[in-house]
This record gives sequence, C-alpha cells and structure tokens, in this order.
Amino acid sequence: MSDATVSSTQAVVRKPGRLRLALAKPGFMTGIAIIGASVVLALFPGLFAPHDPNFIDYMAVRQPPSWLHPFGTDLLGRDTFSRVIWAYSVNMQMAFLATVFALLIGVVVGALVGYYRGIADLVFGRVVDAIITFPFLVLVIAVVAVLGPGLINMYIAITLVGWVYYARLMRAEVISQKANDYASAGIVMGYSDRRIIFRHLLPNAITPIIVYWMTDMALAILLGSSLGYLGLGAQPPQAEWGVLIAEGRNFITTAWWLSLMPGIAIVLTGLGFSLIGDGLADLLRPRG
Amino acid sequence: MAGVQYTLNRLVLMIPTFFLVMIIIFLLVRLLPGDPAIAMAGDKASDADIAAIRDKLGLSAPLWTQFWLFLTNTLQGDLGRSILARAPVLDVVLARLPTTLFLTIYAVTLSVLIAGPLAFLAAVNRGKWQDNLIRAVFQVGLSMPVFYIGLLLLTFLAAHLGLFPVGGYGESFVDRLYHLFLPAVTVALYTSAILMRNLRSAIIEVIDAEYVQFARAKGLPNRLILGRHVLKNALISTVTLLGLSIGQLMSGTLVTETVFAVPGLGRSMLEAIFARDYPLIQGLTLTFAVLVSLVFLMTDLFQSWLDPRMRLT
Amino acid sequence: MKAAALAAVLALSTSLTAFPYQSAEAVERGGTLNFARYDGSKLVDPIYADRNPDIWMVGSLFSTLLETDPDSGELVGGLAESYEVAADGKTITLQLRDGLKFSDGSALTGEDVVFSLGRARNPDLGPWSGLLSAISDVTADGRAITITLDNPDPALLSMLATFNTAIVSKAAFDAASGETDQEKSAAIFAAGSPGVGSGPFFLSGFEQGSTMAFSANPHYWKEGEDGKPLPYIDGVNFEVIPDDATRVLKLSAGEVDIAEFIPFSRVKELDADPAINMYLFPSTRIIYSPINTRETRADGSPNPLADKRVRQALNYATHKDALIQLILQGAGKPMSSPVMSSATRLAVDMSPLYGFDLEKAKALIEEAGLEPGTEITLTTLAGSADDATIFAALQQMWQPLGINLVAEQVDGATRGAKNRSGEFDIHTYGWVDDVNDPSQVTGWLGYYPTRKAVGTGWNNAEFNALYEASSTEMDPEKRADQYRQMQEIYAEAAPLLFMYETPFAVAVSGKVDGYIQTPLGNNIFENVSLER
Repeated sequence: MSDATVSSTQAVVRKPGRLRLALAKPGFMTGIAIIGASVVLALFPGLFAPHDPNFIDYMAVRQPPSWLHPFGTDLLGRDTFSRVIWAYSVNMQMAFLATVFALLIGVVVGALVGYYRGIADLVFGRVVDAIITFPFLVLVIAVVAVLGPGLINMYIAITLVGWVYYARLMRAEVISQKANDYASAGIVMGYSDRRIIFRHLLPNAITPIIVYWMTDMALAILLGSSLGYLGLGAQPPQAEWGVLIAEGRNFITTAWWLSLMPGIAIVLTGLGFSLIGDGLADLLRPRG
Repeated sequence: MAGVQYTLNRLVLMIPTFFLVMIIIFLLVRLLPGDPAIAMAGDKASDADIAAIRDKLGLSAPLWTQFWLFLTNTLQGDLGRSILARAPVLDVVLARLPTTLFLTIYAVTLSVLIAGPLAFLAAVNRGKWQDNLIRAVFQVGLSMPVFYIGLLLLTFLAAHLGLFPVGGYGESFVDRLYHLFLPAVTVALYTSAILMRNLRSAIIEVIDAEYVQFARAKGLPNRLILGRHVLKNALISTVTLLGLSIGQLMSGTLVTETVFAVPGLGRSMLEAIFARDYPLIQGLTLTFAVLVSLVFLMTDLFQSWLDPRMRLT
Repeated sequence: MKAAALAAVLALSTSLTAFPYQSAEAVERGGTLNFARYDGSKLVDPIYADRNPDIWMVGSLFSTLLETDPDSGELVGGLAESYEVAADGKTITLQLRDGLKFSDGSALTGEDVVFSLGRARNPDLGPWSGLLSAISDVTADGRAITITLDNPDPALLSMLATFNTAIVSKAAFDAASGETDQEKSAAIFAAGSPGVGSGPFFLSGFEQGSTMAFSANPHYWKEGEDGKPLPYIDGVNFEVIPDDATRVLKLSAGEVDIAEFIPFSRVKELDADPAINMYLFPSTRIIYSPINTRETRADGSPNPLADKRVRQALNYATHKDALIQLILQGAGKPMSSPVMSSATRLAVDMSPLYGFDLEKAKALIEEAGLEPGTEITLTTLAGSADDATIFAALQQMWQPLGINLVAEQVDGATRGAKNRSGEFDIHTYGWVDDVNDPSQVTGWLGYYPTRKAVGTGWNNAEFNALYEASSTEMDPEKRADQYRQMQEIYAEAAPLLFMYETPFAVAVSGKVDGYIQTPLGNNIFENVSLER
C-alpha cells in the first residue's frame, strides 16, 4: 500500500491470470469440489439417499454399518446414511441463510458508519458493543426462545446477532482504506460518496469480509448444531447433523457410527468452506 | 496524555453500552414464554399459588416500574436475589466467577501456545505438507461441536486411559490446571483454530509484503526478518481477534461447563434461562458484559496504541 | 413387537436385580459414598422442597413421625413408635420414641414436632400445606402428640410418613439469622454446615449447583444389623453432573460409586460391566401426554381432540410396547391404570389399557368424521432424546389415521406455561408421586379444580364428585370402590395419551451395598455400606 500511484481500479479489475492461478491451486479446487458436491447433495438428497430418512424400523435398531446400511442405523432403526444425506439440505441452507443477511446488513451499515463516522458511528459503536458483549449463544438462545424454536426463527436470531461482526469488520476496513491515497484522490476529484463507498472502498475492504463469511458459514452450521442439540434448531423428524451427533453421543463406544458419520459431514463441509476462504483470500487480496 | 484521554473516553462510552445491555436483557427475559413464578412453583402448584408468587416476586408490577427497580438496584450494587438459588445473585456470581475466569484464561493461554508456533510453521511452509496437515487438523477441531469433542476427550483420555479426571475442578492451583485441562482444551480447540488461520494469513501477508521482500533482497537472514517484522505485525491481528472472539469463547463455556460438570457462570446461565430466573439471568448477563467490555477496552487501547486510526470516536 | 426382540429384553430384565439386598455377613462400617446426581438440590427443607432433587433428599436429613415400609408398603413407626386413630377419625395420637436426639445432640421433643407440623400446615409458607388442611390443631404432652382434625382424612397417616411433615429442630430455626421462616430456612441451608438433622445424616457442606455433603448423624434413632446406630457409612458426597454421558463416564472411571438417571439406552451395556450393578428400582413414575379436550384451541379454531372418539383412537393407534422397546429398551411396562402407576395404592389393573388396535382406531376416527390430513401438534421437551423418539414413533403410528403430527420443541418452562394456558394439542409429560397415597396423582390428573385435570380442561362432574367424596371416606372398601369408578371414567374419557411406567435406572459400583431408591424417588442411604 505504500505505492502512491495505485489506481482506484486496480483492485477491482483483476488480471485474468490471477483467477487462473487461484483455480490451479489444489486447496481452493478441493474446497470448490467439496462445497459443490455438498450443494448438489443439499439440492437433490433424494437422488443419493438409498432409504427414506424417516422410516422407522423397530427391528433394525442401532445396527452396525453393513451393505444395506452403509452408516448403520440409529435408535429407531432409521438409515443413518440417508439421514446424513438429507441433513445436507438443512445444514447447507443453514450455512447460507443464517449468514447472508447478516453479511449484507453488516457490510452496508459498516461501510456507512466507517465512511461518515460522526454521531452515527457513535451510536453504532454502542449498539455493537451492547450486542457483542452478550455471550453469542445466550442471545441466540434467548431470541429463539422468544420467537419459538424452528429454522426460520433461528436464522432471524443468528442474523440479529451476527450482523454486528460483519459491520465491525467492515467499519474497520473502510476506515483504514479511506485513509489510503486512492480514496482521498476520489474525494479530491469530487466523486459522490456513493461512488467512493461502493466503487472504491467496498471492493477493497470486502476481502476480509468474504474470507470471514466462509468461516462464518462453517460456524453457522456449528451453531445450528448446538441449537439442534439443545432442541432449538431443526425440528424433528428433520435430520440435522447436530441433532444426529447429539443422538449418537451416548453411544460413542458402542455405536460409534451414529455420531461419527454426521461428524465427518460437518468437518468436511467446514473444511470446504475454509479452503475456499483461503483461496479467495489469495485471489482477492489487493496487491500494491 | 492522549492515551489517558482516550481511555477515559472509552470508559465513558461504556455507560450507554451497559444501559443498552440492561434494556435488551430486561426485555428479552420478559418476552420469554413462561415466567419464574411458574418455574419456581413447579407444575403442581395451583394457579392461585402462581399468582401469589408472581406478586411476591414483584412481577405483577408494570414493566416500567420493574425496570426502574432493576436499574436503581444495580447501580447500588444490588443484583437482586436469585429465584433458583434462593440467594443473592451477587453471591452466586462471585462463587462461580473464579472458575469461569480460570477456565477462560487457561483456554486463551492454551490457544496461543498451540496456535502461535503452528501458524508460524504453516506459514513459512505455505503450500507444503506441513501447512496442509496443520490446517486440516485445526479444521477438524474447528468443525466439531463442543458437546461432541468434549465427550470424545472425556471418553478416551479420561475414562479409558485415565489420564485426566472426568469432572470436577480441583482445589489447589496445580490441581485446577490438571482438572480443567480437558475443558480448557475443548474451548481452546475452537479458539486456536480461528487464531491459527488468522495468524497464518497475517504472517503470509507480511512475508509477501514489500518491505520484507526488500529486507530479504538486502540480504538480511530470514530468521531475523521474520522475527522483527512478522511477529510484531501478526501480534496486532492476533490480539484483535482474541478480543473479538472472547464473547464466543464465553459462549463456549455454556456447553463446555455442562459437559464437563464444571460449576461456572456458563452452566449457571443455562440453568437460569431454563428456570426463567430473571434476576440471575440479568446478573449473569451483566457480569459477562462487564468481562467482555473490559477485554474489548484492552483490545481497543492496544489497537489504538499500535494504529491510532482505529480509534473509536 | 417381534418375538426375538422381546425375548432379548426379558433376558435382560431377569439379569437385573430389582432390589439390592443386604448381604448376610457382618456389615462393614465407615467410608464415604460418592454419588453423581443429574441435578442439584436448592433447598432441602421439608416444607420448601418442591423439586424432585430437593424432595428426594429430605428423608436423609429429617425423619418423619411414621414411615412406609419399603417391602410391604405398610405404615410403620418412625420418630413415633406407635400411633392410634380415634373411632371418628378426627383425632390421631402418636407416641414419640424415648431419648430421641438431633444430630447436634440436643433432645428432639414434642415441641419440635408441634413446630414442624405448624410450619408444614401453614398455607403462607410451603406449597404442600394443602395436604394437611384437615388438621386443626397439634399439641404435645411429653412424648405424646395429639393431632386434631376438622374432618376425617384417609390420607393423613400417609402424610405423616411424607417428607413435608419431617421434623426439624425448633432451636436451630430460632437461632438462625433472618426475619421470616423462608429467610431462616435459606440461611440454615446456605451456611452448609453443620446442619441439625433428625434423619440418618446432617448437612455438612453445600455449594450451590455443584456439590453437597452429608455426614452421619451419630444420634440417629434407627439401629443397624450390628446393633449400633445407622448409618453404616460416614457420609455421602454429592456431585452434580447434568450431562448423562459424563455421569456414566464418571462411574466407569471409578470417580463416583453411584450414578443416577442412567439413560435406558445404556442400561444393557452397564449391566454387562462386572464392576457395576445396574438397578431398575420400581417407581411410581408414569410417562403420559395430556390431550387438550377443550372445544376450541387457544387460537379459537375448533379442536378435533375435543371429540372423545379421536382421543380414544389415538390411544388405540399407539403401540405402547414399541415405545417401551424404543425408549426404555424394554425396561418398562404400559400404564395399566389410567391415573396412576401400578405401584400406587388403589391402582386398578385395567391392562391392556387401550392395547394396540389399529382397526378400532380407524373405525373411531371414521365415526368421529375426522378429516384426513388433520394437523395435530405434539409439544415436546427440547433437547430430550426420549421426546424426539416419542415424536418420531407417534408420527409414524398415527399416519394410518390420516393424522399429520407435527413437532414443537420447547423448554420445560415454556411447556409448563403452555399447559397452564391450554395452548397445546398434546404434550409430553411425566409424573412421580410425592406422597404414598393415590389422592395426589388422581387429583392432579383428573380433578378439575386442582389443575384443570393436568391442563387438559377435562371437567367431569361425576369424577369430581367421586374425588371429593373419597377425600373424606374413612372406609377403605368404599374408598377403593370410589377409586375404581374414577379410573373407569377416566379411562373411557381418555384425556391423556396413556403411555408407560418406567423404573428408576441407577448404576451402582459393585462395592456398594444397600442403596435404595423408593417408588417415590427418595434416595435412601441409611443402609448403605461400602466394601473396602
């Protein structure tokens, strides 16, 4: 950033070579592959699940993995593999819907207060501090309890709390970017605030946000799982990884497949998001 | 002098924040379905009993009156009586605070000890197998729900191998370190994974930065360059991140303390929520808010000291 | 259920000891028992104990005038060695044992009894005073205690063997700090040690929500096999471990000697461990689901469950044995009386109570004209594995009736509030008797004025009249007949989904002898001995 001649467009228009470079990275590609596959599973679970995920078979309770049930069966004789597959639609939805609105709200609010500062920033600071000083889980639990359990309410609760993290990040980035020469140049040249914010500052400030988003999506799955464990997230009989793990945790030594398989699904998905995050960080990082 | 002024400003700004926290928590707990009278009297009590208890607890008063009482009492250092514990909220908080503080500091220390060296190792070996292995392992730690990983650790390290106790929190300092090791690791796994990711990319960013390239071109030995530039820069983002994640870290204690049967604030909080113990929920939330605010304040001061542009107005 | 699975369960249950009998050899004395609890006590005071973790501990610290023999279920002497009921049923006289002492060595006198019963029946104090409302006066003359009643009360003797009438030390209360009785009680308990007990132990340590300690009362009146005062052990250390899995691990690691509330899914595995004895103590616990019987739901829409035939159909379509298999791994039995467990006195065995009959259920649904696809909400306890299983199973079982069952998970406090306000269709629930008399559970489930028949809104004049008559009926035969009629009326009306009875599953280290949990749930440590 020490180069005074950085043009305002440089960071936005990426050289095509860089995209190719990023795509050539095995880590990034693995991430894309994992998340791509997860999305496909999430959209068409019925195509991949061999059994009805909610079919109860009293005679086949807690069976170990076999050809018929590759991940074994659960406490009700339901096919664990099919339940893990069907959970993809819930958990991927969770990753996206619980974070995307927080991202949008946070980015806009953060950019505005970061750019204008003043009284808005002061008020914003207090609201952020107030929300952020609550233990996250407590606030989400309380909001879900007030709104009633269920996925939609869980998304609302996570968004209500989660946007401040994006906003805080965005604000800090915008303040730091604004101090840079290209922004000052824009102001000198008489560009409108809107143009400076959305054309110049935002694209440059967005990198850490996007990288954080990837982590946050993995976190959203985790948080959703914790809420599922507490019974406040996905409602039965909907399969959800956190609920599946919670169901199996009494049987870590005797029926390990119950918790291990959904555990692997969570880890894989989290890995996918974080690999993409790392790849994007490389790809989007503006170079001076 | 500017530093003192800034610190004072920040402290003054905490006042409206706390006011906001108190409003939010006051309203939120009262919006929850069910109330302490029902939770306290139990299912068996008659409706008349419930009404009597509600009166006794002052819950029949208008919300405004209740809030005023809460506000003025709190300012006088009176957090009320816990309905569940039948004791002053302050006593409950003070009895459990040391345990949670101990656990939190322990976990943060472990996170830094784990994440620091490994992030460095991963960054300087970027793209090589060391990097991939370290990141993969941390990813697993990051993706595992606390209620699962905690139990795995308990089952295998504590119950099967007998390396650690299954629960409790010890008496002496060393005993505590031993008793709380597994819960601290459980909390730290998550924090250190986030920390490691951030540190790694911070270090990489610095390695890639021109001044380091320049220093390298000047022929300074690698170790010296990294030592001088990398660590200092990485420190800023690490402290910021640690500060930011303290709230989540405290959230982590809710479930961790339950799984490991550690009698701390987090477990009290869950119990209080389920029992609709308004005074205790309020008191615990305020305690958390004070703790987190203090950490933020320190983070802020540290940040502004290193980078004055970051100052809040 | 298929035969193979049932056979497996039967084999399991025979290998489980129902009662731990004291070994014939001389009992070893000494040692401290470590006990892992699912929830902590808040206040172990006879009159303020309102949650099971409190109620079930009262007996260890405070003795009652009478006791229930664990084997026969008959009333026997406690602090009082004898009792007598006058012919009109309005006077009860009791004779205290000679030389009774509290754990601090002070004498336990008639004055303490008058004081304790005075607290217990004071409606301004604890929640249990209603159980003693028939009492008009209690007086003491030396060791003789006279209880005068306004009207005969067939349940009153049982009440004198119940935790809420346990005897506390008047001197300890007089000395305690605080203005009101509540404050004094809380101060005594919060101080932790040393409490003044009249039971086998006294409180010697307490840390809110985490630990509690009992020490042996050297002046306890009951004698052990060796002719010396009970208890055999020096004390009990309690540790609260809310997580089921952790509690089990704690026992497997040998850090505690007893872990209570073992998930039924783990009973078999623990029973196979040679170092652990898995006990299934018979209990008065029943698991059932109240059905909202009001004409309209809380939102004003017509309630399909107001029709008795629909409720009956749900009961017929519920395969109780399958539920028991899935949730309790077979360690339970279908409810045989509609208002109480079979362990409760005056229970009528009506089994099979709504035995599985899908055809009958379908016919009833058709008769009631229930629209196919009718949505019914089952409110369950969030985070409860059992409730999740119940929901999944019921959803499948009721599908053939054209019922679309949806789940609503809430926490305990919300469920309690919904039960009171009637904002539910069906919700899961459970009950354990607190009192060794059927009046409590029957009033709870069916007598409308108590709690709107467990929140169902079921208000049956005939049932209510029978209940009122039975509460003053001193003739055992007539009373039994009233109870039989009430159970018949209740079964036919089906304001509940009748489910099952479950035992208390407790895992006990092999070196522990003599631990008992009574059908009411009380933890009895006085006969415990430790092998060392």
